[in-house]
Amino acid sequence: MSSIESRASDRVFIDNAALMLRAVDIRKTFTLHAQGGVQIDALAGVSLDVEQGECVVLVGPSGAGKSTLLRCLYGNYLASSGSIAIRSDGHDAQHVAITGAEPHDVLRLRRNVVGYVSQFLRVIPRVTTLTLVAEPLVSRGVAEDEARERAAALLARLNVPERLWSLAPATFSGGEQQRVNIARGLIAGHPLLLLDEPTASLDAENRDVVADLVIEARERGAAIVGIFHDEDTRTKVATRRFELQPPLRHQAALH
Amino acid sequence: MTTRITPLMSARAITKQYGGRNGCRNVSFDLYPGEVLCIVGESGSGKTTLLNTLALRTEADSGALHYHATHGEMLDLLAMSEPRRRLLMRTEWGFVQQNPRDGLRSGVSAGANIGEPLMAVGARHYGQIRATATQWMERVELDATRIDEFPAAFSGGMQQRLQIARNLVTGPRLVFMDEPTAGLDVSVQARLLDLLRTLTSTLHLSVLIVTHDIGVARLLAHRLMVMQGGEVVESGLTDQVLDDPQHPYTQTLVSSVLPV
Repeated sequence: MSSIESRASDRVFIDNAALMLRAVDIRKTFTLHAQGGVQIDALAGVSLDVEQGECVVLVGPSGAGKSTLLRCLYGNYLASSGSIAIRSDGHDAQHVAITGAEPHDVLRLRRNVVGYVSQFLRVIPRVTTLTLVAEPLVSRGVAEDEARERAAALLARLNVPERLWSLAPATFSGGEQQRVNIARGLIAGHPLLLLDEPTASLDAENRDVVADLVIEARERGAAIVGIFHDEDTRTKVATRRFELQPPLRHQAALH
Repeated sequence: MTTRITPLMSARAITKQYGGRNGCRNVSFDLYPGEVLCIVGESGSGKTTLLNTLALRTEADSGALHYHATHGEMLDLLAMSEPRRRLLMRTEWGFVQQNPRDGLRSGVSAGANIGEPLMAVGARHYGQIRATATQWMERVELDATRIDEFPAAFSGGMQQRLQIARNLVTGPRLVFMDEPTAGLDVSVQARLLDLLRTLTSTLHLSVLIVTHDIGVARLLAHRLMVMQGGEVVESGLTDQVLDDPQHPYTQTLVSSVLPV
């Protein structure tokens, strides 16, 4: 992004104080080099603004690019074209453009601004559940004791049995790992949350707890973009729905 | 819009070749304070040559290499005199070898292996050196009552932890690591990785680590450089490079990992 463009989008974030995220014309094409350079279009020009206090639920059939969009917003996938700007915590500028940002800027943004909950927990050998959940707070400078207390409270609320807190979650059931993952994703109160099917392997009771947590985050002003597989949760948490359609897929390589 | 932090180390077009081939070509990057940068690639990709060149263990053919020293001075490493290089290595750097036997002294005790680097930077009080060595043994989860045993009496994983203690005891700012987990049992690897992860973040270390193990890279590194045929073919945020690899070689590398 040129400095002129950068200043222009800074203006947008100044003019609209509630704007957290602006994605403009995001395209994503995967090129599979090992398979003859086949190109798969996953997103064909998606634009989305998200404001504080909004929960935008992504809807669309399987293959519409819902997860791909979330991953682009998190900087986990590189958008092939388009721009993604996120309101920054820094004092030097209003926003950071995830597209084209330096890795350390993306990491700082993830520490302080953008939280992401995936479907699966990435287990770290030997690290206990309580430490894992407290980590995002500790990395933001919260004292270890306080971070662990808050982690314990959140795990209890998500019905993760206390006897599991001192264990590494590698051997937990899918639903237990999922709840540990949610606790880790929500504990730091990030102002922008990206949720990729956080309720996928949960029973009805725990799904309701997660829905309540999402609503609370929204009500304290977080901007949320999420994918939820059940209509019940969608209805509870959404302030707006955003429809995605699968682009024309599997175009043959141009050579 | 981006934060302007001074890089700890800046490499520009670093080249080191053996008879016009192999080695590494034209490598440029900035390493920031507290950042763990992983160099991945298969055997023969030039990653160890690059590491040795950056650590001033082999002379670069061409390029520029700068280091931001503690006192604020920007050092031109390639133009620096040998004694000053030695001083820098002793006081601000560590180097963890793949094989702990290369990084430890076999003829002296575990405690002496940890204490020696301290003496090299001026420590003279025997009691204090021994106390520090004891603390470090505990910190790397070694039985401190074995402080007087020789390295050969320890298992491979323990020796590697001992080597890490020897390298970190002087409080370096930058640590080079060459395949620190290779050659260890998987169960021992996990313990070492967790230890490295904790130490690098609590000590705010900058680390340049060479590995061919994608799992190690994912767990430890903030950022990756992927090497093939002596050149960096792709670099970026660790999870981005591994989850959305752009270069054909990186795609092959990532898709070759067996799912667990």
